[in-house]
Amino acid sequence: MAEATGTTGTEEWQPKIVMFCCNWCSYGGADSAGMGRFQMPPTVRVIRVMCSGRMDPVFILNAFLEGADGVIFSGCHIGDCHYVSGNYKATIKYKFLKAMVNELGLEDERLKLDWISASEGERYAQVVTEFTEQIKKVGPSPLKPEGVI
Amino acid sequence: MEIGDCYVGWATDEDIRTRGASGGLVTAMLAAALEKGLVEAVVVLKKLGEFEAVPVVTSDPEEVKAAAGSMHSVPIVLSRYLEYGTKVALPAKPCDARSTIEQAKRGQVDIDTTYIVGLNCGGTMHPAMTRKMLETVYKLDPEEIAGEEIDKGKLIFETKDGKEHAIKIDELEEEGYGRRESCQYCAVNIPTMADIACGNWGVIGDLAGKGTFVEINTEKGIAILENAIDAGAVEITPADDKGKVIRAKVDGAMMKVAAAANEKYLAPIEGSHLDYYMNALKDCIHCGACKTVCPVCACGETAKCTEFSSAADTYKMSLFHLVRFVHLMDSCIGCGQCTDVCPADIPLTHIYQRFAVPMQEEFEYKPGMDMTTPPFFGVDLIEEGH
Amino acid sequence: MENEEPRIGVFVCECGVNIGGYLDTQAVADYALTLPNVVHTKVNKFTCADSGQAEIQAGIKEHNLNRVVVASCTPRTHEPTFRACCKEAGVNPYQFEFVNIRDQCSWIHMWDWGGATAKAKDLVRMGVARSRLLEPLEESSVPVDQNVLVIGAGVAGMQAAIDFGDMGYNVYLVDKEPSIGGRMSRFDKVFPTNDCSICILGPKMVEVGRNKNINIMTYSEVTDVGGFVGNFEATILHKPRYLDTDICTGCASCQEVCPVEVPKEFNEGFGTRKAIYIPFPQAVPLRAVLDMENCIGCKACEKACEPGAIRYDQEPVYETLKVGAIIVAVGMDTFDPLPHNNYGYGLYDNVITTMEFERLLNAAGPTGGHVVRPSDAVEPTTVGFVNCVGSRDVNENIYCSGGVCCMFNIKNAQLLKEKRPETNHYIFYMDIRATMRGFEEAYNRARDLGVKFIRGKPVEITEKENGNLVVRVEDTLKGEIANVEVDLLVLGTGLVPNEGINEMGSILKLPRSADGFLTELHPKLAPVDTTTDGVFVAGCAAGPRDITYSTAHGSATAGRATRLLSTGEAPIMGITAKINEDACVVCGVCVDKCPYGVFEIVGTNGDRHINVVEALCKGCGTCVTACPTGALEQSHFKNDQVLAQVRNVFVYGGE
Repeated sequence: MAEATGTTGTEEWQPKIVMFCCNWCSYGGADSAGMGRFQMPPTVRVIRVMCSGRMDPVFILNAFLEGADGVIFSGCHIGDCHYVSGNYKATIKYKFLKAMVNELGLEDERLKLDWISASEGERYAQVVTEFTEQIKKVGPSPLKPEGVI
Repeated sequence: MEIGDCYVGWATDEDIRTRGASGGLVTAMLAAALEKGLVEAVVVLKKLGEFEAVPVVTSDPEEVKAAAGSMHSVPIVLSRYLEYGTKVALPAKPCDARSTIEQAKRGQVDIDTTYIVGLNCGGTMHPAMTRKMLETVYKLDPEEIAGEEIDKGKLIFETKDGKEHAIKIDELEEEGYGRRESCQYCAVNIPTMADIACGNWGVIGDLAGKGTFVEINTEKGIAILENAIDAGAVEITPADDKGKVIRAKVDGAMMKVAAAANEKYLAPIEGSHLDYYMNALKDCIHCGACKTVCPVCACGETAKCTEFSSAADTYKMSLFHLVRFVHLMDSCIGCGQCTDVCPADIPLTHIYQRFAVPMQEEFEYKPGMDMTTPPFFGVDLIEEGH
Repeated sequence: MENEEPRIGVFVCECGVNIGGYLDTQAVADYALTLPNVVHTKVNKFTCADSGQAEIQAGIKEHNLNRVVVASCTPRTHEPTFRACCKEAGVNPYQFEFVNIRDQCSWIHMWDWGGATAKAKDLVRMGVARSRLLEPLEESSVPVDQNVLVIGAGVAGMQAAIDFGDMGYNVYLVDKEPSIGGRMSRFDKVFPTNDCSICILGPKMVEVGRNKNINIMTYSEVTDVGGFVGNFEATILHKPRYLDTDICTGCASCQEVCPVEVPKEFNEGFGTRKAIYIPFPQAVPLRAVLDMENCIGCKACEKACEPGAIRYDQEPVYETLKVGAIIVAVGMDTFDPLPHNNYGYGLYDNVITTMEFERLLNAAGPTGGHVVRPSDAVEPTTVGFVNCVGSRDVNENIYCSGGVCCMFNIKNAQLLKEKRPETNHYIFYMDIRATMRGFEEAYNRARDLGVKFIRGKPVEITEKENGNLVVRVEDTLKGEIANVEVDLLVLGTGLVPNEGINEMGSILKLPRSADGFLTELHPKLAPVDTTTDGVFVAGCAAGPRDITYSTAHGSATAGRATRLLSTGEAPIMGITAKINEDACVVCGVCVDKCPYGVFEIVGTNGDRHINVVEALCKGCGTCVTACPTGALEQSHFKNDQVLAQVRNVFVYGGE
């Protein structure tokens, strides 16, 4: 199974990032990025849920324990939530998680919240690219179990 | 009688007055609440030994009266004893009262039918530690102890032969004995969040040692005290101003001590936080005892923290604890029970407090102080500028 | 079924060269076959084509598959296709899992064959892990009440009501004003045809009044809506008119004797009306209304009212209506330039808005159709019109009001010019947006008539002693600064969300977009549907639009809603929240988190439990996240199903 790796096989280390997208906005943004052929590094693994409100702290914490070098939490822009206010509630959870990650001593840069609308394909690519660069700077997650790729 | 009034009161029954602490007001008030039907049940502490007691729910006023006498126990989760909506009176240290209020916010306790009779608290001691301390520091046989008291900064044990043995608390705590660590840094001594706050601080002059200082905090507080007066079980006199000042001074002094302990036990972690936490939690055996005793956790046997983690996980940290860190950020009151029960001796309360306190400060939310909804429930936080 | 060992088939789509040209689809399929429970894989040229679907169905049959994973494009467009394909072949549509290796691999990592292939394998592994845990779900349905509520009786709402009525559905048409008609009843002429507005609207209003299936509820407001698709309960507040509308004949003798005069809202505050008044001559219903706030209690109207309709003791009445569908047609407001004194509005007498100008033009308006300027009641010979007031402006609203303001300014300048060819009129514009049918011709007609178009946004307005205004503007076509003196300046104020839109949005749980208007389900493909099933949006409630568009919208909502009503039952999605009562501790956090009111704590003491109204659930899953015990689960997005993906992002590499 060695070929099922997240890296390109080149020398430079490539982080692996777990990104949670809501069905209506940020997942749509990912689709728009594809439609627009906006290129970005192959570092992100997207998990689709219906709303950013569904992004459970358990998922995010588990992603870090699994070895994620970074996690992105994304949804509709504030005011645009398909479910009225799911993204407000996601913001509160994010605040809790952010405070927790900081106290835990995991680098602050590893957790990011960003709102991406379904039309923002270019911005989606930009968020992924910039976050990847950010993670490359901080290096592999100290929580990554030995031997996982 | 109005909210904010302060009185000194005592039981009219001579037996209760002499057996109960500080004139037996609390015992008499609880018994009267049962007798007059204000409540259906009262929580009393049943002694297991000189240093240990367990909470018991009773509807028998005689059992309430029999339980007279000061005794501390750990916070209890009322919902495990009583059906929601039961009219109940609960003697409560500040941590008991706070956890009860947190449970009420989570639908486990009906705050409108729960009379919280608050008791001042300067800290409690773990029974096992107390025995060890008696043997090694006091050089006394634990079975020979007849009573204990804190006076002028000293912890005094009275033995059955009538002799008193006193050692400065500071010295004891320096050695790792004395009060629970979480009690040492607890800054809530007077249960202002309870319906009525009772204690011996501020009882001066002739009444010293014979009366209980009470402060009325809510309408329910008025109800339970007036009920006892109407029943003829209790007499009160307005507290004098000097007493109020003294009570506040004692509280202030305790808070100073707590602040110092806080700096000692919750000092910033030096070096890598992650190493510190990984090291601290590496001995966890996933027994779940900390969750079971947690008095602010409303979950039953099924909970997200346990559901998705297992002792067989090979992660560098326990998912169980990570989930609990998040879940307790807005509710941990630092009561110390998780540390008490941990078979692997992990200082869990310190750890949970390190995660919870910054968040609670940021949200300007102190759990258990009133019925304000916890931040995790709230949806208007962004509009409020958080 | 549920305990059946998963037998998973993985179909990898090449999408022509869209996927196959940028990553190794065969390697992805081969890798998939190494995963637990995967018993069949196949690379398809086009999985969504008939041939590809046939390959899926053949695979299901030959290998007795009970789970299907397709690695191709996006579930946002193709999930229904593959679900239907699976269903036909006997696999529950909810046991189909979609992996997106086009938008998330081949198209965005076009020059990284290895990276894209490796990522595709990861995504397939995650999808396979999730599919293993997917449960079969059945979509249920609820009966649909055959009555309809239309909120707002402007042209969009009226059109919807007429269509419903004609199709035989009982309609409640509610409007907060004392007459139906909405904004359009206040316009003088409408572009691009320059028809008299009330002349073409009047017959439609009468048609509404005559339609037996339409219950007109004017001077009424919707204060609350409960329930769910097919089964809404709306609370209507009937404000007191202080007269019995069954007795009132609309003769207007009351308004003749009333001694109180207040500014007339219908004329944008120009002129006056009485405290008791008929809203306007063509009002439907043609009934008086008493404005109690301004009534002095002289009772002159009671004496003047021959039929005896006056009822001073009338109280507000609340009524509950059961309806199956709701049309939201609450309309718009025009931008208010007063708070920021845009272009001197509110500072200089002779700066007015278009809506005010419309009333000045109107024969039934305060001046009998003579356009005069407010400062001295003199007929202006030079009028300036400013476009984009409050629109396309970063300080106000960034959006364009859909060409509506361009067109009414053009129309009004044209009307003035036609009436008095010797006069001079200017339109200050940024871009003319004459996009719809007949608009360009109207624009050309205005130019031909001699209306002067200056391309530039006025930067400063100054008032001269005689009340004239000097408009300082850069003529960007000439590259010159011009100072144009006009007698009257008309602000082409843009369209903004109705002041009640937030409340309406909250009552109906409809999201608002960044521009403040209601959000459609999809801006292109579901323009009148909303995120709340059974609620449809028509006209300007969902953005600036003109009369043509609003009318078409009204009909469109009636069509969409009829689709729901005529089948008699509404499907309930399978991805709703479900509760495990044994694990639930009734903490109530879900009650707080749900924006749709799905949860309610019921019972007392030991019987307390959470009541879940599944039909209200939209499937966002926010409650599931908040639930500390895990007693709540969202079907198809269960905790373990999502965690299965999380736990398959990484594998032990063994290197």
